[in-house]
Amino acid sequence: MLLVSRRLQQHLAGKRFLVACLHTSRRVQNSRKVIEQFKLADIGEGITECELIKWNVKPNDMIQAFDPLCEVQSDKASVEITSPFDGVVAKLLVQEGEVAKVGSNLCLIEVMKEIADSVDTSVAEPLNTDTLPIESFETPTSTVSSEENTEEPLPSSTTVRRKHPMDPTFTPEVDGPGHDAPVLATPSVRHFARQNGVDLSQLVPGSGRDGRIDRRDVEQYLSAGASASTQHPTRVEAHGQTENVVVELSRTRYGMWKAMEKSLQIPHFGYSTTLDLTALHGLLPTLNANIPPHFLPESSAPALLPVSPLSVYTPPPPPETPLSGKYTRLTYLPFLLKTLAKSMIEWPLFRASITLNSTSKPTLTIRPHSDINVALSTPTGLYTPTLQSADTYSMYALSSQLKHLSHLGRQIPCGLTPKEMPKQGGTVSLSNVGAIGAGDFAAPVLVPGGGVAIVALGRAKWVWDVDRGDGSGERRLKMGISWTADHRVVEGAELAAFVECWRGYVESPERLIADSV
Amino acid sequence: MLSSRLPWSNFFRLYSTAPTSPQHSIYISNSTNPYFNLSFEDWLFRHKEPKTPLLLLYRDDPCVIIGRNQNPWKEVNLSILHSRKDIPFIRRRSGGGTVYHDLGNTNFSIHLPRSSFDRHKTAQVILRAVRSLEVDAIVNERNDICVGSEKVSGSAYKIVNKRAYHHGTMLISTELNTLGDLLHTTKDAMQTRGVASVRSPVRNLQHFNPSVTHESFVDAVVQAFREEYQCEDDVQSVNEEEYQDLEYIQTGMSELPSWEWGYGQTPEFTYPINETFAWGTASAKIQSKHGIIIDFSLSINSEAAPPATDAGISDENLKSVEKLLQGRRYGSVSAVEIRDALGPNGPVDDIASWLEKSMNS
Repeated sequence: MLLVSRRLQQHLAGKRFLVACLHTSRRVQNSRKVIEQFKLADIGEGITECELIKWNVKPNDMIQAFDPLCEVQSDKASVEITSPFDGVVAKLLVQEGEVAKVGSNLCLIEVMKEIADSVDTSVAEPLNTDTLPIESFETPTSTVSSEENTEEPLPSSTTVRRKHPMDPTFTPEVDGPGHDAPVLATPSVRHFARQNGVDLSQLVPGSGRDGRIDRRDVEQYLSAGASASTQHPTRVEAHGQTENVVVELSRTRYGMWKAMEKSLQIPHFGYSTTLDLTALHGLLPTLNANIPPHFLPESSAPALLPVSPLSVYTPPPPPETPLSGKYTRLTYLPFLLKTLAKSMIEWPLFRASITLNSTSKPTLTIRPHSDINVALSTPTGLYTPTLQSADTYSMYALSSQLKHLSHLGRQIPCGLTPKEMPKQGGTVSLSNVGAIGAGDFAAPVLVPGGGVAIVALGRAKWVWDVDRGDGSGERRLKMGISWTADHRVVEGAELAAFVECWRGYVESPERLIADSV
Repeated sequence: MLSSRLPWSNFFRLYSTAPTSPQHSIYISNSTNPYFNLSFEDWLFRHKEPKTPLLLLYRDDPCVIIGRNQNPWKEVNLSILHSRKDIPFIRRRSGGGTVYHDLGNTNFSIHLPRSSFDRHKTAQVILRAVRSLEVDAIVNERNDICVGSEKVSGSAYKIVNKRAYHHGTMLISTELNTLGDLLHTTKDAMQTRGVASVRSPVRNLQHFNPSVTHESFVDAVVQAFREEYQCEDDVQSVNEEEYQDLEYIQTGMSELPSWEWGYGQTPEFTYPINETFAWGTASAKIQSKHGIIIDFSLSINSEAAPPATDAGISDENLKSVEKLLQGRRYGSVSAVEIRDALGPNGPVDDIASWLEKSMNS
């Protein structure tokens, strides 16, 4: 399995969950110094280039938004340009007297920038591509647009959110839990906390029984806090560790160790390609607008229609969906899972599990339905719950299941049970590592019980595809995927053909209509 | 339709102080002081509430106005200007080229919010005014108002954060000969990084319709402005004395004639020159930025004998002239200083006066 790790923050009925990270350090910071490129904005009137007449600043000057930055001239127009940011001038890229083209960088300004926390938590391993690629595309031009809209101040990158206790600007009086929340901790933990200047009320609830704060919570708070703040002058050392520290492998990490050793018995081969998600991207708004009511949280449920289709006969209601299974937005993942399940129906090989017989040749057991493992990275470790008979569920139902699974996984201790992780497992595994960063391709590892193949999904990105259109190219949303398969039973050509079958559904979602009519 | 003031307002004028920000939309300046008019225009530009259109009209006593980023040594015939002690040259704050103002030229200035500023639209406002005076004018591709192939108006623009203006000239009865002399330049060899003027043949409006006057043009522009921007504001008549207390304007008026603004804002330029004398040739290359000489090199070629030695001017002398000029304001070095640096021997007078003339005109 590919190790994936993700920091999640969930807002759930007013409670906050303290989520420790497997990868701490920079993930915990909320603001950092960023060098912003300031481009020469489009002045309008068809002007394509200007001469820079005069800089009003020099490197290392402090500058505030709307301070004069420089003056440029184009034929008969003299234009004063003001700074869109508060910050420090890092570097001047165009000299006085030089000509700069519209859209080129004029200077670099160092600003303090807040990282947008992910507010979308509808799926455990969400492919948050519907929000993130747009952000990454817009970042270079965001300076231009803010130069144009000089009426408003700089737009904030996040909606109002509760501050995480690791946030350097977190103040307990303002952001902390209510003072009536009990702080449970054993005397030894209290002593340890006091020694290290830790306010236990900031760690409520802890990871121990009944929400007790464990020593581990305090340790994690300290190591995270030390690495998070670059602003607090007292925490000048990078991470507080001064000597070698011996750590035992946790149960799940040791489980991963053992599984990986066994995986060496499986001959792997890989196959990578990109999927074009543009068509799917276009469908999402419609799909989101028609989420069945029993999957929607109370508040988002649509108002009752004046004419109800159920007035003649009320069918039995669908099974009650737990609150953890309700969501308001789809992501790409349920769609990818559904189409994968469909492809698996067409390709029996990928519905097969290997049975090693001690006396005779190994056999393949082909199941009637598609069982897919989904890699889930949780605070307590890496798990692979199974979506059983995924081909029989609608995308909406799959989305609900994913959300429920991720909710269970995020519990401390882990809420996943053998019900979600049956012994027989799935025959194909899926890992959404693209949600973590901007990875294009990965090389996932197959473990016994993981099936005959595993796919890792990269990050969907908007790219310019020169093959499309009439040769002039088009902007398409592409996602890299990397398959690894068990070469004892799967041929290279078979895997490639299977992936092409999957692509056929993913890139032409309209084909799914054929099943409904 | 000029001043609509009642006589008793004179009383208030003596005791009133200038407002902190412009309260009206149509201003006509009674002052012909170019320093005041430019500073007043700038004050209106920076202090008017950004969303309201504004119009200013004014006339100046004779002067030469160069664009924000121009090179006065290249654009203006300074030797003629120096001979006309009464005519200053002034650098304005908007871009564009060099113009000549006198009382036969009326200047207009339209200020608008930056988001809705469109230089073509504003040009149309002025065009309509001119056409209403029965002159068959058009707007050319450089957004200037012409009659046939002759320019009657030049334009320039300034854009800042929330505001932009289009201002320009309108030749009604200007002394075109003086204009031609003062703007006639000879320094083709001067390579400057600033904006070069685009020369065009010019004509007065009175050439096409002798009955056009400053007053009738002003009325026509106010009318066209009112129609375009639905402005019903009264016309404000502006007198220089009323704004004596306004620091912004007073500061502006003292900045404009300063060397730092007039010459010191000149972008970088290089000027290679050479001259033939009876005894040989000399060539020099001057490099200047912000009006200061940053590099100077001089070489002499005497036909009569090998360079320098027989001419009496040594390499050291040349170096000392170069040193003399480094860091000096362009146009400030006198022939006497140059001659002294060149030493006692050789054709020093020739060289010194040639250099002085080249740089100071």
